[in-house]
Amino acid sequence: MENVIQEKLFDKINFTYVNENKFKNTLVSVSFFTPLSKENVSKNAIIPDLLVHSCKKYPRLQDVSKKLEELYGASIDSGVSKLGESQVITVSGVCLSDEYAYESKENTLNLTKLMCEMIFNPDVQNNKFKKENVEQEKRQLIESILSELNDKKSYALRKCEEFMCKNEKFGINVIGNIKLANQLNGKNIFEAYKKLLESSQIEIMVIGNAPVSKIKNEFKEKFSKIERKEIENCDVEIIPKAEDVKNFKEEMNITQCKLVMGLRSEIAYPSSDVPAMILANAMFGATPQSKLFLNVREKLSLCYYCASSYSKRKGVMFIQSGVEKEKVEDAKKEILKQLKDLKIGNFTDEDIFQTKLYISQTLKSTEDSLAGLNVWYLCLEKRISPYELIDQIQNVTREKIIEVANKISLDTVYLLCPKKEEN
Amino acid sequence: MKPKEIINTKLNERYFYLKHPSGLNIYVYPKKGYTSKYAVIGTDFGSINNTFKLKQDLQNIKVPDGIAHYLEHKLFANKEGDAFELFAKTGASANAYTSFEKTAYLFSCTDDFEKSLGILIDFVSSPYFTQENVDKERGIIAQEIKMYQDSPDWKLLINLLGCLYNSHPVKIDIAGSVESIGQITAETLYKCYDTFYTPNNMSLCIVGDLNVDEVLSFIDKKIKYKDNVEVTKIFPEEPANVAKKFVSESFDINSSMFSVGFKENICRNSRISTEDSVYTDIIINYLTSPCCEMYQELLNKNLINISTFSAEHLEGPGYSSVIFSGESQDPEKAYKIIIEYTSNLLKIGINKENFERVKKVVYGKSVAVFNNISSIANVLLDFSLSGKDFFGYMHILENANIEKLNARLSDIFKEDNHALSVIVPKK
Repeated sequence: MENVIQEKLFDKINFTYVNENKFKNTLVSVSFFTPLSKENVSKNAIIPDLLVHSCKKYPRLQDVSKKLEELYGASIDSGVSKLGESQVITVSGVCLSDEYAYESKENTLNLTKLMCEMIFNPDVQNNKFKKENVEQEKRQLIESILSELNDKKSYALRKCEEFMCKNEKFGINVIGNIKLANQLNGKNIFEAYKKLLESSQIEIMVIGNAPVSKIKNEFKEKFSKIERKEIENCDVEIIPKAEDVKNFKEEMNITQCKLVMGLRSEIAYPSSDVPAMILANAMFGATPQSKLFLNVREKLSLCYYCASSYSKRKGVMFIQSGVEKEKVEDAKKEILKQLKDLKIGNFTDEDIFQTKLYISQTLKSTEDSLAGLNVWYLCLEKRISPYELIDQIQNVTREKIIEVANKISLDTVYLLCPKKEEN
Repeated sequence: MKPKEIINTKLNERYFYLKHPSGLNIYVYPKKGYTSKYAVIGTDFGSINNTFKLKQDLQNIKVPDGIAHYLEHKLFANKEGDAFELFAKTGASANAYTSFEKTAYLFSCTDDFEKSLGILIDFVSSPYFTQENVDKERGIIAQEIKMYQDSPDWKLLINLLGCLYNSHPVKIDIAGSVESIGQITAETLYKCYDTFYTPNNMSLCIVGDLNVDEVLSFIDKKIKYKDNVEVTKIFPEEPANVAKKFVSESFDINSSMFSVGFKENICRNSRISTEDSVYTDIIINYLTSPCCEMYQELLNKNLINISTFSAEHLEGPGYSSVIFSGESQDPEKAYKIIIEYTSNLLKIGINKENFERVKKVVYGKSVAVFNNISSIANVLLDFSLSGKDFFGYMHILENANIEKLNARLSDIFKEDNHALSVIVPKK
């Protein structure tokens, strides 16, 4: 894409500018990539919250908020996510692009400066984050961990990932756990913060319409003062094939069972078969014309949702469904039957054509939202445009779909089900 | 057939409106530079419309709860199968949703827009309900209902509405219950369809990098004329007071959640004005800002957390409520602080400095809607069906004044119009 400019600011610090003037807003984000580890996961998880809620210049949350509100309700959010087996810590700001922020000239530059205050000049004393700030964020981090149980669908998925990848980084919850959260203090968080600045891979993104060289220089100047050390390796461990199928079951006071099946394959970046697996997964369970939707839901009326997702960085796949307790075995059987059908090529050329069409339209629409563009370009692999991926998917043959489908193997079945009636 | 052009010069945005001879309200909103195109067609018929009266009838018709949502599922059906199969041929992503006050059908695509638009208009104007296909859907919808029953967020809201409203059907779950959907038949679906899916009762909103004249002439060829049905939507009398002050339900969760609602007194079947919406939005943005003392007190006393505390304005025919929600270690304490602060706010009002700043926030948020074609289309649909003015909102916001703002406070916060809903962990 000719509107995407990428530049290496320093070793393992990249700057990407996607110039799009169709939006009213501009997004600026800074993401730190670090390998998921039990030791650091909770420390890293609390860092972005500490950074965006207070800094030296604006010590209290209301001071930060006031500043943001004056920038036409700009927002600066903290984020913690998993990409492959990396924990990605993000500070991202969105504000009105300069031409729409009438009384605030240089709105985006001001937003960037505020973000830099937060990232490089936090409210720290004697190499420690302030106690009262740490306690406030710690309480909220623990509440976030506790509330993961609120949404049973995502809870079940997370449990399946944890059971299946118990000995892999992939199985670590990106916001950690309560035990780890309780060990947090101003000092150990500050050490983790320093480590992020010094030895993580950093991606800076500007999407929209902004005075990009000024913004870039702002970051360049700040990062030039950081003494960078050896950069951590964010490689992903691929386990190509499942061994025996593992089963896990939990009971709760709920009305509907949540069934999650975890599968493995050897196909992950940088494999050239990734586009074929994206297509195979879509045909299997990621569109309304997919085998899972048409059969498990439409034909057998077993559920409201039954869908699969594929991680192109880890090579794993997860199938999620919500079913009646008595129908769990029927659903499982039908899901596996559909997988087998995919493997033996029980689909038409029309199915392939239609799924390619569907994926290509979804990919093209990536460039119609700030968030879509941000997610797309935020990666550690060689960057390609959505159009390049579309071309690769268009070239996938029937034989290739069958070939990659046959590399999928069932690893773990997790079931969250209602407790037996108490009489 | 010349559409009216509506322009916002400041934001450099424009759209075209046409009241088609069939009665259908058509909006075409060209967005240069966007790859995807989006169309949504909606009818002024949602879960609250469970009672109505046709002109020729003497008696009211009462339909089972959840029927608007059931109809939404089944409208995709056709003689050969369903509309999803047709969309599959064009590669568009289609979907639909039912809310308290409306039902909408939509798709987004990048290529072959007219073909997909044709499919949308065709399936929405040609129902195919048979007892067999209606029965078949029951299992799927029952699972959808059960999924919501397991959702504490959803139960928190529905329980709160059950407190705020005595008889208004907004207190009933949108999808109905497993029992109520058992009474739905092909015949009852046709009854609702024939009554509410008339062009006069519907709006079609289209957004994307499109040629307005071409789109309009295509729609003109596609649209089916139908006689307008004279129908009165019946709502029970809703008293000003709340039905209950408090409701609590326990779930297998680890932290408590709360929702505090303030009910506004609204005339039966009428909706609040665009102006009232603007001022309500300013008020809720003020109260959920960390610059507001109420927020600071809640946070400093560990009664809310930053990531979940929020407010919304829920409104439709005959109902309007401002709702604060979040997770809390002590919902009742949080409730008390909210009540005390808002009642005091009535006396002191919001000051000029805060007002000017929050106005900027609401302006910023409103402008952000124009980034996204699906947001534009759905907001446009909502404004159209509720009789509000899309660009007018921005205009009122820019000219908002503090006197009106403080007057609006007393519509929302009254002494006895609030309730608390909590979801607590099971012991």
